[in-house]
Amino acid sequence: MLMPKRVKFRRQHRGRMRGRAKGGNEVTFGEYGIQATEASWITNRQIEAARIAMTRYMKRTGKVWIKIFPDKPYTAKPLEVRMGSGKGSPEGWVAVVKPGKIMFEIAGVDEEVAREALRLASHKLPVKTKFVKREEVGGEANES
Amino acid sequence: MAQATPLEANFRNSEDRAEKKRLRREGFVPGVLYGKTTESKAVSVPNVAFIKTMREAGRNGIVELNFDNGAKHKVIVNDVQTDSLKDTYEHIDFFEVDLTQDMDADVTVNLVGEAPGEKEGGVVSHLQFTLSVRALPEEIPEQIEVDISELNIGDSIFVSDLKSDKTFEFNADPEEAVVTVVPADVPVEEELDTDAAAEPELVGDDSAEETTEDNE
Repeated sequence: MLMPKRVKFRRQHRGRMRGRAKGGNEVTFGEYGIQATEASWITNRQIEAARIAMTRYMKRTGKVWIKIFPDKPYTAKPLEVRMGSGKGSPEGWVAVVKPGKIMFEIAGVDEEVAREALRLASHKLPVKTKFVKREEVGGEANES
Repeated sequence: MAQATPLEANFRNSEDRAEKKRLRREGFVPGVLYGKTTESKAVSVPNVAFIKTMREAGRNGIVELNFDNGAKHKVIVNDVQTDSLKDTYEHIDFFEVDLTQDMDADVTVNLVGEAPGEKEGGVVSHLQFTLSVRALPEEIPEQIEVDISELNIGDSIFVSDLKSDKTFEFNADPEEAVVTVVPADVPVEEELDTDAAAEPELVGDDSAEETTEDNE
């Protein structure tokens, strides 16, 4: 499961997810990818589930890149505990994803296989996504 | 070499954000025209016409911008800003070219054929999607085709292996790999473990050191 090896602080503020992804909004390593169209926290369990769904469908072909990393700890209080007494204990790790972020990339498989693999992966994620491919200026995607 | 592809363009009166928004709403793409001897000017081009022109001319093709006042500029598209969510063009940089001087350009690398290594279970790893070349503006190739039909697992094609006719030369390091066939990763199908909240070590956590100091 993805998580940092070392951290400076055990707990973080939750923060806000305003605006769009500043970087990582283009397909850079592979040929196809899935792009988030809304903002959310993505846990390391969800990332792992999506990766397994993709690799299982692609069998042993192709290559997968995970372009998000869960480096933000989230905390929770135990059940039936009264409010107060400080912040809860770390429960897991999340990646903050904003609209436009390419979360996974695939190469070395046909477009059909890539589409299906990424569709299966998108069902493991808490955000709406869209399939994207490496595009050139004047390509089909820019017609709209 | 092919003739420059014509594209109608207009000068922009204002450079403010509202004007750019209005242009985009009306089906134009704002841009800028500049060159080594040309003063920078704000321009706009029709979106659909720009897409058609780029398909005809190619990414590094020469485009002739025709303005209302009769001015004509031979340019190449130097940079394009896109909205990655909406897939629309936001802004285009047109660079006026000097047809007698060499210039650098990034050219798309296209893989041709099927690698035998892929059938044996390898994965074709495309490392360089574009390569920088130096040539006269009219001699810049549309794409560089790389034949991978003889690549087995572990084989690579380097920049030095690519054929460059005399019209252009590669800027990239000859030792740089363009494409390689690597053995496929064995998928790790482990079950979801339960250490999702396992704690990593803290940077600068000197509690251990303190205890040793106390003992001293």
